[in-house]
Amino acid sequence: MESFANALVSGLISGSLYAAMALGLTIIYGISRVFNFGHGVIALMGAYIAWLVNQNAVSAGLPLLLGMFVTVVVMFCFGIFIYRFAIGPLMKKPNWDISTVLFMLGLGIMLENIVLQLFGPRIKSIPVFLSGNLRLWVIQINWHEIIVIIIVILAILFLNLFFKKTRTGQAMQAVAQSVPGAKVVGIDIEKIFGLTFGLAFAVTGFSGILLSTKFFMNPHIGWSWMVTGFVIVCFGGLGSTSGTIYAALILGVVEALTTLYLGASWVWPIWFIIFLIILLVRPQGLLGGRN
Amino acid sequence: MIENLKKNYSLILAGLAVLFLVLYPQLGARSYMLHLFILFFTWAVVAAYWNLLIGYVGIYSLGNIAFLAIGGYTSGILSKIYGLSPFITIIIGGFVASMLVTVFLGLPALRLRGIYIALLTLIFADMLPSLLTQTRDITGGGMGLHGIPGFVPGMMKVHAYYFCLAFFVIAMIVIYRVINSNTGLAFVALRDSEDFASTLGVSRYRERLKVFAISSFMTGIAGGFYVHSLGDISPTTLSIEPFLLGLAMIELGGVGTFFGPIIGAAAIVFGNEFLRLAGNLRLTLLGALICVIILFYPGGLMQFISQAGNFISRITIKRS
Repeated sequence: MESFANALVSGLISGSLYAAMALGLTIIYGISRVFNFGHGVIALMGAYIAWLVNQNAVSAGLPLLLGMFVTVVVMFCFGIFIYRFAIGPLMKKPNWDISTVLFMLGLGIMLENIVLQLFGPRIKSIPVFLSGNLRLWVIQINWHEIIVIIIVILAILFLNLFFKKTRTGQAMQAVAQSVPGAKVVGIDIEKIFGLTFGLAFAVTGFSGILLSTKFFMNPHIGWSWMVTGFVIVCFGGLGSTSGTIYAALILGVVEALTTLYLGASWVWPIWFIIFLIILLVRPQGLLGGRN
Repeated sequence: MIENLKKNYSLILAGLAVLFLVLYPQLGARSYMLHLFILFFTWAVVAAYWNLLIGYVGIYSLGNIAFLAIGGYTSGILSKIYGLSPFITIIIGGFVASMLVTVFLGLPALRLRGIYIALLTLIFADMLPSLLTQTRDITGGGMGLHGIPGFVPGMMKVHAYYFCLAFFVIAMIVIYRVINSNTGLAFVALRDSEDFASTLGVSRYRERLKVFAISSFMTGIAGGFYVHSLGDISPTTLSIEPFLLGLAMIELGGVGTFFGPIIGAAAIVFGNEFLRLAGNLRLTLLGALICVIILFYPGGLMQFISQAGNFISRITIKRS
């Protein structure tokens, strides 16, 4: 009972981290229909930028928050840059769906190996916000994990507010619903797509920091983060933000319970089976939008 | 007329290339070069049948390396542990790969489109290494399978070279026949306009199952030839580098062309050896190569060759 409860809690915690990570994928796909196969390395770059800031600015106070801020700004600019000079031109050509996939794959592997060259293959870790445990009845939680969850919830609320209340966010939703319709009412598609990539890369980089504080990071971990994200977004329904969050929580719990009862190496086969069942029974996912 | 001429030229060139490959070991080639050629033969088959999925049918499979691994492991295990003849186990490996892929990828792929298939195949390939570690007793786990017997007892590199060459030629003839048959036409019709093809009576289900079965069967057999020539296989076959190499071959050669993957495989296999000079930067360069080709030269080397061919024929026609 005790181990079950603890597994449940840790599953929910990693689930919320996965949710943060998969959101970037969902945002890009939902609005621009481009599937980001370089997602993992984007998250990884975020984590490494934060680590770098953290190493060089320890005395500045609140180093982790500073690192997060720098990451978000840098990744936002990087996203706009990638859209402006690569994805945007590709999307105007025929067969853009496969060419963007292959482009992002190539870019991801290139960046991953540049990170490897710059930082070396050793495992790095980002310091936690707060050490120490909180004990509730039989459940033990790190203070750090509680803070991380609060951050994730705040980030999701913030994104929600952004999409609902601001003009740019509403324009993004309009583009997600119908590109011709958005053009008719005078939305600048290029600008919205560029901002979407910036926003999604910023969210992804941010989630990379959170993931690397909970787990660890080396230049190759981005790949497995990304595949995790793929399963989650398919499970939740491509392009559906709330579906992604539910799916991430469910899969996080499944992962924790599988690790508890069967062992960690069974997590992947079981996820694949879940993935297969979802694709066969309900290809549009839990809360799938339009396809 | 010019089309016909071009076809004849490429047939003559292909014949000359095969003749050269047959004679090559007799010209006193070093064992290392033979090794590279063996790699080229298997990779060319893998790339060609991958291209059949991506370029001809428009199924964005990212898991073809898994087909190779399944065929290779099946054949390796059967011949090593049960002592069967490699020629039988290679065929069995092809059938096993074909069956698993058709059940786990082909059938779900019938209901899926575009990006979902890419995800499904990628995750399928990504799951195999953890399954291999689970079945450590048979497959050797993370250490891989070693000491797989060759095609004939006391096999030398030259023998492996000729076996792989024969397989390469047969596989290329098969894919050429498939592409130029009604089935190939149906594939291209489905890729270009699915609705139109369906109204003309092309069955989307049948053709998709067919292409998955063909592609995985031949790739599985290529896996068999790969393990029996090299003697070992390990989960690193499923790592990112072979995957990237395969994609780079198709992209560099030219998607959706017959000769593209072969030329791409030659360029990448032999070029990769030069890239070893670049050490750890090799994968960075390969990734950059894929990006640059997609952005600036999407037709690959085949586009370059056909442009050069047009240029030459324009000059000769002017003179005559």
